[in-house]
Amino acid sequence: MSISSSKKITKILGAELDKLVSLPLIWLTLIGTFILNLVLAAAFTSAGLQGAAGTQSILNIGLASMGYLQAGFIILGISATCSEYTSGQIRTTLTVIPWRGFQLSAKHLALAVITIPAAFIIAASGILYTFMMMRDTAVGFEIDTMIETLVGATGYLTLTTLLSAAIGALLRRTTPALVMLLGYYFIISPLSRDFLPNYFPDTAGYYMYMPASNDEINVLTPMQGTGILMLWTLIFIKVAIIFYRQRDA
Amino acid sequence: MLTINNLVKHRGTDKILSGISFKARPGRVTGFLGPNGAGKSSTLRILLGLDHATSGSALINGKPFAELHNPLTTVGAALDGFGAHRMRTGRAHLRWIARAAGLSRSRVEEVLEIVGLTNAAGKRVGSYSLGMGKRLGMAAALLGDPQILVLDEPVNGLDPEGIRWIRTFLRERAQSGNTVLLSSHLMGELAETVDDVVIIHHGKVVADGTLEEVIGNHSTLEEAFFALTSEHAGDVV
Repeated sequence: MSISSSKKITKILGAELDKLVSLPLIWLTLIGTFILNLVLAAAFTSAGLQGAAGTQSILNIGLASMGYLQAGFIILGISATCSEYTSGQIRTTLTVIPWRGFQLSAKHLALAVITIPAAFIIAASGILYTFMMMRDTAVGFEIDTMIETLVGATGYLTLTTLLSAAIGALLRRTTPALVMLLGYYFIISPLSRDFLPNYFPDTAGYYMYMPASNDEINVLTPMQGTGILMLWTLIFIKVAIIFYRQRDA
Repeated sequence: MLTINNLVKHRGTDKILSGISFKARPGRVTGFLGPNGAGKSSTLRILLGLDHATSGSALINGKPFAELHNPLTTVGAALDGFGAHRMRTGRAHLRWIARAAGLSRSRVEEVLEIVGLTNAAGKRVGSYSLGMGKRLGMAAALLGDPQILVLDEPVNGLDPEGIRWIRTFLRERAQSGNTVLLSSHLMGELAETVDDVVIIHHGKVVADGTLEEVIGNHSTLEEAFFALTSEHAGDVV
């Protein structure tokens, strides 16, 4: 890659980061997700204190809110791409950065830069809260297991955000993208979980952070789960870029 | 130099542009006129790489927009609408644009000063009036101090002072050798500002020449415009 191209990519990435951090909706979504996660963690911890607790239980309880927490990251991803289509901003974007493939890739990269620390902090806050509340009942707590689980949860939330951003870029309108993704993650997927294989983004991604119990069949390893979710994400980003290049703005 | 060459645009079964050709030259302000739906915005959008042409070309200094090395320092564009997210402040909007083009933050303050938006720069774009939105669009177009300006209805929504400012500003830009292409439906205003005029109707160029040539035997540009865009108008002037 030439110095000129590398400088251009750095500028585009910087601009996309500026766009994200200067949009109040992004911060509102992250703060709202953080608060919601703590409330849910408190509720699940309170319920967990009623039963026996060990290392696994703390992680399980600390991450029990992940199913709901991902809604915030889905909104984050959709907001990042659909905000381009508010008040004609896409026209400004493309007259400043007409290299569409670069621009949309940079937007996803900038989103990942913001999402990774946010997802880590939010997921860790739930586990930390649970740990603090249940440490007296915890036996042989494994820090390595917790770190692996946290990394998996961060990866899952980040890839889910990027997947949502790609679908937002494809649909270009916030409401249809929200209805489609929240409908899939919260209605269609839970209802069809017993019939469909574990190769869908949410079901495969589940194994990135939640160790499978022994009585489960067709289980995936965390690496397999990561690979499958990453593949889904890359496919959707690629499709979004193809459509983005071909369509009129 | 802007060169539109035999540009055709179809949208579904609709023919938006039917082979239009014209040039906007350095040192001159070119007015681009036409009734609503004539194809003005489509032409500008293709020129700026926002829409794809069915055939033909729209070139900036001989290159398609996407092949420009640094578009912002070559072409400043302000199209309809604010072009900025309503929840972002005017200053934040200009800052991300400046970052993309490798321009300094002090340049953002300069253009805010030029368009008279410094005091409102910290407010969200959603609270801007139409005129303030237009000024923000102009500020974005001027950030890179480009040789070429492409402006869609630049005076729409501006107060008399703003209209006077933009007229003087565009004349000065052209006099210093820059290229200015602007669309407008305000004939009186346009006649005060432009050197050359292109009129399109139903996706075809019906007049292309200097202001004097296009006005011809008519008393005003407005009369010439209506004569040329009436259903039974004749050939290209």
